Amino acid sequence: MRSLIRKYAGKLHRDRSVADGRVGIAALDDVMISEGAPDLSRLAADVLSRLSCPGVVAASPSLPFAEFLLRRANAGAEAIVPLDTETRTFLHDIPIVRREELAGDPAGAIAALLSGRKGVIAEGVGIVASGPVTLEQAYIHYSSVFHACHVKYILDVLREGFLLPGEEEAFRAFRETFLRPLTAEGLSFRAGPLDAPEEVLSEIRAVGRHTVERGLVDSFFGNISYRAGDTIYISQTAASLDELSGCIDPVPTDNRSTAGITASSELPAHRRIYEATGARAILHGHPKFAVAMSMSCDVKDCPVEDCWKDCTRVRMLGDTPVVAGEIGAGGLAVRVPPVIGGPGKAIVYGHGVFTTGRDGFEEAFRSMADVENRCREEYFRRLDARA
Amino acid sequence: MLVVDLSSGRTLREEIPPERLRAYLGGRGLGVRLLRERHTLSPFDPAMPVVFAVGPLCGTPAPTSARLSVVSRSPLTGTVYDCSAGGRFAWRLRAAGLLAILVEGRSPRPVVLAVTSAGEELLPAEGLWAKTVGETARALSDRGSVAAIGPAGENGVLFSNVMMGEGNAVGRGGLGAVLGKKNLKAVTVDGDRTVPIADRERFDRARADVLRLFRASPVIFGEFGISGYGTPALVDLMRRRRMAPTENFRHTVFDGAEAYSGPAIRAAYGAEKEGCFGCPIRCRKRASDGRSLPEYETVSHFGALNGISDLHAIVRSNDACNDLGMDTISAAATLSAWGEARGRFPSPEEIVTLLHDIAHRRGEGDLLAEGSRRVAEALGKPELSMSVKSLELPAYDPRGAYGMALAYATSNRGGCHLPAYSISHEILRKPVASDRFSFSGKARMIKIAEDANAAVDSLVACRFAFLGASLEEYAELLAGATGEHRDPKSLEEIGERIWLTERFYNARNGFTRADDDLPARFFTEAGTEGEGIDVPPIDRARFGEELTKYYRIRGLRDDGSFPDDGFLERQP
Ligand code: SF4
Ligand SMILES: [Zn+2]
Repeated sequence: MRSLIRKYAGKLHRDRSVADGRVGIAALDDVMISEGAPDLSRLAADVLSRLSCPGVVAASPSLPFAEFLLRRANAGAEAIVPLDTETRTFLHDIPIVRREELAGDPAGAIAALLSGRKGVIAEGVGIVASGPVTLEQAYIHYSSVFHACHVKYILDVLREGFLLPGEEEAFRAFRETFLRPLTAEGLSFRAGPLDAPEEVLSEIRAVGRHTVERGLVDSFFGNISYRAGDTIYISQTAASLDELSGCIDPVPTDNRSTAGITASSELPAHRRIYEATGARAILHGHPKFAVAMSMSCDVKDCPVEDCWKDCTRVRMLGDTPVVAGEIGAGGLAVRVPPVIGGPGKAIVYGHGVFTTGRDGFEEAFRSMADVENRCREEYFRRLDARA
Repeated sequence: MLVVDLSSGRTLREEIPPERLRAYLGGRGLGVRLLRERHTLSPFDPAMPVVFAVGPLCGTPAPTSARLSVVSRSPLTGTVYDCSAGGRFAWRLRAAGLLAILVEGRSPRPVVLAVTSAGEELLPAEGLWAKTVGETARALSDRGSVAAIGPAGENGVLFSNVMMGEGNAVGRGGLGAVLGKKNLKAVTVDGDRTVPIADRERFDRARADVLRLFRASPVIFGEFGISGYGTPALVDLMRRRRMAPTENFRHTVFDGAEAYSGPAIRAAYGAEKEGCFGCPIRCRKRASDGRSLPEYETVSHFGALNGISDLHAIVRSNDACNDLGMDTISAAATLSAWGEARGRFPSPEEIVTLLHDIAHRRGEGDLLAEGSRRVAEALGKPELSMSVKSLELPAYDPRGAYGMALAYATSNRGGCHLPAYSISHEILRKPVASDRFSFSGKARMIKIAEDANAAVDSLVACRFAFLGASLEEYAELLAGATGEHRDPKSLEEIGERIWLTERFYNARNGFTRADDDLPARFFTEAGTEGEGIDVPPIDRARFGEELTKYYRIRGLRDDGSFPDDGFLERQP
């Protein structure tokens, strides 16, 4: 249990979603164990003792966006509602709990909200998330909330500007020191085409790790595949891209076996991209600026209400097409393949980026980094223009 | 609720106190509560009730909730017994203005209970006695939905089912025989009442959330999901994970499994989608000639477990069980144990004859009708019954999933995968994956899942819905439907109450830690290794340690007993 706690604390630090040393994790087996920053691990343990699920993560995020969102929300608001696909599908909304409500029994107030939702924002504390089935889930839910807040905050700032004292300075620090350009420099990729199953699997494992280590993708949110002959090798559903050993499903393209039932929910999209483009490698992740920028649309008087699933336009962000569509058996598997062939990249509204490589992963990796870098540039260009 | 005393023929509609529904929801929870005063009666005692109960979501468009639970005490296992079933019956029961039917007593002659929103009557059923389930359902088809027993239930086969006319089964524990002893051949329900929705907007929002999660789940709506292939989608997966019980669990890989995989069944029979009323998943599959196609458990047990790779023979076995009103898992597993004991597994040709012999208790069928534990004991080889608390294990080898191993042992109804449904995380990676070859953390995970699923069976929703959605969305559906706020945690607490009540009943009936155990084979023999996967025997000491942890987490003593006798009195 302790080793698991340390593993997830390490991951949170490595993906830079928590402030240095500011994480507490509690895990419950037949006894409770908690570790981390004393105040946060005590809080995590107190919350957990009221929930009796396998785990709770309490941490101060590396960026103050969740806190700002809470304070920017209307006085009566009980939750913030990010509109990215991740939130719409899995989180629904993110409850907020204010300083006053935390006064008497902070763990009680937080636990009450966590008995209905996966993660909450607590003013002055940070993000607290629980794992109803496993400890890993608490880590995943923390990441989801962090991601959703990040995307929502940068969009809100673009739309409404800074409203609170301290926001502008914090945002400047984020822009100037926190953000680092994404790059493939120094990484080595196998040149394709790859044929031998062992070679394919080991390249997928390595590239999966690179995408997380280089900050292109949060560990749990993305998928990766390679087509060799009549087999698609694809990461499994609910797999972490930096831990793909044993988590890659070979799926025969003729559907003679259903063993791929555990493959990523995006298998239909990957399959159709292969059919439509002749690519051999596909990467998919949720880089934050690309997600945010895809949701900023300036079409006037559009009749569509649920843009994220019903928009039928192909918009362009620079030279990258943006389409809408739900996860899995929903629409993105229909809308992405026709647009990704030429540019080798596409953004799904409020969701993430798909990129392809004709022979190997290097091309897909570089274009994913490139899409996100350009979305950052475009974002700051618009922000500066607004000011 | 409708109470029917079959001995006197009296029927009575009575109100269920609202606080009881708040404390137990409906379905399984309500049924278990209604057994309180009589849980120590023998399953065949005329006074032992059988409860058919729907839940608060039934009759609403909440996805997968046109289901009911049937609760009584099992003659096969001796435990309290619940089983959830879909089809249209549950929905029509609610439309008849009822949440539950409790039948008790013993009718002097065969009868059919016919219920409508206008009232109920007991109809003479001598003419239907000895008829198959299909014949009975057809004869009663103008009376709405039918739940009936077949010859197996009439003849007291300990694993006889109550079958819904649409082909869904109230399976496993032999509740068909309990109805048979009561001389109740069938129950029909029909009605025209609708169920109001308290907060339409909230309900619709939750429903949209659930459907979105279904679509995002590869197991449900993915290319290889159960919506497309039905549960036989699992055949190839279990083969690849090397945990498909083969030849009475002597091996865990069966080379002939391809013959009855999801794609093979679709190629041979068409596999049109069919489902429980209003279910968007529609996991049930029907052949182009109209018959119900078998589920994963059925194909695997009539297949691998008996060493058979003839798809048509497997489908015929399934047809026979459905028509005779008999559980496919227990039937196939009993034949397999018997096969190993006599040194030869039954051939495809023999099986259908044997199934008829069992249902009519003819020749060897008379012993086989008692289930694998009694068969193996009678043959002097008790170790060959692959069962827990006399319930035959389904088609997930516990050496390939340690949470499942623990859950088979702790299940209140005996060796079954459904109460904790740990294949969800151990195999299907939903909502997240857990390490299937490790016991670490499993005690708590199993406890939480058992509680959550007891709540699910009381709502009543389908297990498969939770391969996409979670109690979070279902709590919202419930709040929308009833106007009463519930969060997932409070639902789990209800589930915990139900679970402990069941365990308490079992303890009263003599069940102890010694019954929470797996057949010795799993601790001494390895599964079939290969393709980089090792399937060692389960470490008995580690298993015992996790079981102790499980009891502690449940607030029980280390020997699995309750710390005091007052548990029931403290429950609402
Ligand atoms: S998923 Fe299948 S079993 Fe469950 S309610 Fe739907 S059709 Fe019935
Ligand atoms: Zn995605």
